[in-house]
Amino acid sequence: MDMTKLLTDKRVSFDLKSTTKNDVISELTGILTNDGVISDEGEFIGAVLKREEEFSTGIGMGVAIPHGKNKAVKEPAIAFGRSSAGIDFESMDELPAHLFFIIAVPEKSDDVHLKVLAEISRKLMHQDVRDKLMNVSTYEELIEVFK
Amino acid sequence: MKILAVTSCPTGIAHTYMAAEALQLAAKEMNIDIKVETQGSVGAENVLTDEDINSAHAVVLAVDTNVDKARFQGIPMIEASVKDAIKDAKGLLQRAVDAKPVAKENVEQKVEKSEAPKGKQGVYKHLMTGVSFMIPFVVAGGILIALSFAFGITAFQTEGTLAWALMQIGGGTGAFGLMVPILAGYIAFSIADRPGLVPGMVGGLISANIGAGFLGGILAGFLAGYTVVLLKKTIKLPKSMEGLMPVLVLPVLSTLIMGLIMIFVLGGPVKAVNDAMLAWLEGLQGTNAVLLGAIIGLMMAFDMGGPVNKAAYTFGAATISAGQPSMVMAAVMAAGMVPPLAIALSTVLAKNKYTVDEREAGKAAWALGASFITEGAIPFAAADPIRVIPSIMIGSAITGALSMFFKATLAVPHGGVFVLPIPNAVGNLPMYLVSIIVGTVIGGVLLATLKKR
Repeated sequence: MDMTKLLTDKRVSFDLKSTTKNDVISELTGILTNDGVISDEGEFIGAVLKREEEFSTGIGMGVAIPHGKNKAVKEPAIAFGRSSAGIDFESMDELPAHLFFIIAVPEKSDDVHLKVLAEISRKLMHQDVRDKLMNVSTYEELIEVFK
Repeated sequence: MKILAVTSCPTGIAHTYMAAEALQLAAKEMNIDIKVETQGSVGAENVLTDEDINSAHAVVLAVDTNVDKARFQGIPMIEASVKDAIKDAKGLLQRAVDAKPVAKENVEQKVEKSEAPKGKQGVYKHLMTGVSFMIPFVVAGGILIALSFAFGITAFQTEGTLAWALMQIGGGTGAFGLMVPILAGYIAFSIADRPGLVPGMVGGLISANIGAGFLGGILAGFLAGYTVVLLKKTIKLPKSMEGLMPVLVLPVLSTLIMGLIMIFVLGGPVKAVNDAMLAWLEGLQGTNAVLLGAIIGLMMAFDMGGPVNKAAYTFGAATISAGQPSMVMAAVMAAGMVPPLAIALSTVLAKNKYTVDEREAGKAAWALGASFITEGAIPFAAADPIRVIPSIMIGSAITGALSMFFKATLAVPHGGVFVLPIPNAVGNLPMYLVSIIVGTVIGGVLLATLKKR
């Protein structure tokens, strides 16, 4: 299992248009919906926002990883988005977030996918990974960062 | 210096691992030896062993879920949220490094204190843990038994056939045999963690063997759990022998105590109840048939597999031993079909009062009820006995009484809907079905109304 199955080239946006937290969640969810992963957009966004209520998934250092585990998700998927201007995501360090990974997981998911997600989450804690992600411009380069 | 950590977040997808990585990165920088256990949606990974805990200076709990703290008794605990670990892993580690070893007495007092407010919620939580582990056994066993009946209701008696094999797998020698041990074992597990499993499961198995059914199993589970808790508190071994506690002392002592209580204290009364009920029913023969039907119904639904239910069933089965169709047997089977059916109906009528798991189990309960596998009702009855048992007793009593009133008869001791199409197996079939449906509807509506969210 490698991450290219979860994060396909159609699920990437290097130039997010949104300027608010709610908009960016919708925009990223839209990417997954267009790729046929989400059956009910409202339902999934609801799950993501509910998770955000517990505490923001803006983990600081410019990274946010909104995620939802919901029956509206057909298969595990990730979309990546980047905003050069930065978006206020109510992050822990109160700085704007630039790198977004939205994670969609179905109600029932096998461990293989979850392990990939765990691995990506771990990588994002590394400074050099985040720096590279700010500078990649193609899907191939993006995937390379995680190798 | 060695520091331990546990990370766990509610969804268990991302933050658990980010916190773990943050702690590991910080530890590397600070030159600290660290081991981090992650409790995410794939389960616990890199699990901390007793050896780790004994050799560690302190443990950092970066958790937003309930994790078992009891195992860290004796070393300082730095409690924080996942967020804290991601934001300031170094700060947390520094606190762990600075923590002073706490005197043993103090630690135990502290733990007791923090567990005290759980109270009532705890008992319910323990029960639900047992029930949730039991459900798949009931469903798997019940459906396989029903499949065996589909080959003909006595097909399982011929050794070597598929029907026989299905009965072996699903019945008392297989999944159904594990049902009460699993219930009791995981109630005890919920109370006392891993050491509770042995006395709980053994207690549950004995409960099943002495005919105490699932109510006996629930009792065994709680008894086993609290016995272990008590033993842990009272037995003090010298430090050098502490390692013997989990591997030798606790399992042997707790299982011995459990087993003796089950056999000598509970075994006698259970048999007495069974005998008394059977004698009482025999005395009732020849009195008002409708009343007898109602009583049989109440008994069939009361403890499902326990002494009262068994008495009613044995009484019914005895009436057909001569091969004669019997009204009593008809009432017994009808009343035994109602509990799972009524519960299945109530999961449909009051969807939002049941968990997703229960609604799924409700679907299986239709099949189990239709096959006269009363045990299909047990997970629901065990989870909420005060509301479930009276509801299904009333439903079954009405069905039993109606079946007698319509003078329906049955010539075989088992089979549910599978015997209905057999010629001459059932007398007054249409009204027999009406009896079952009426009891199911009344029991189901009653339960749907009583059940709390």
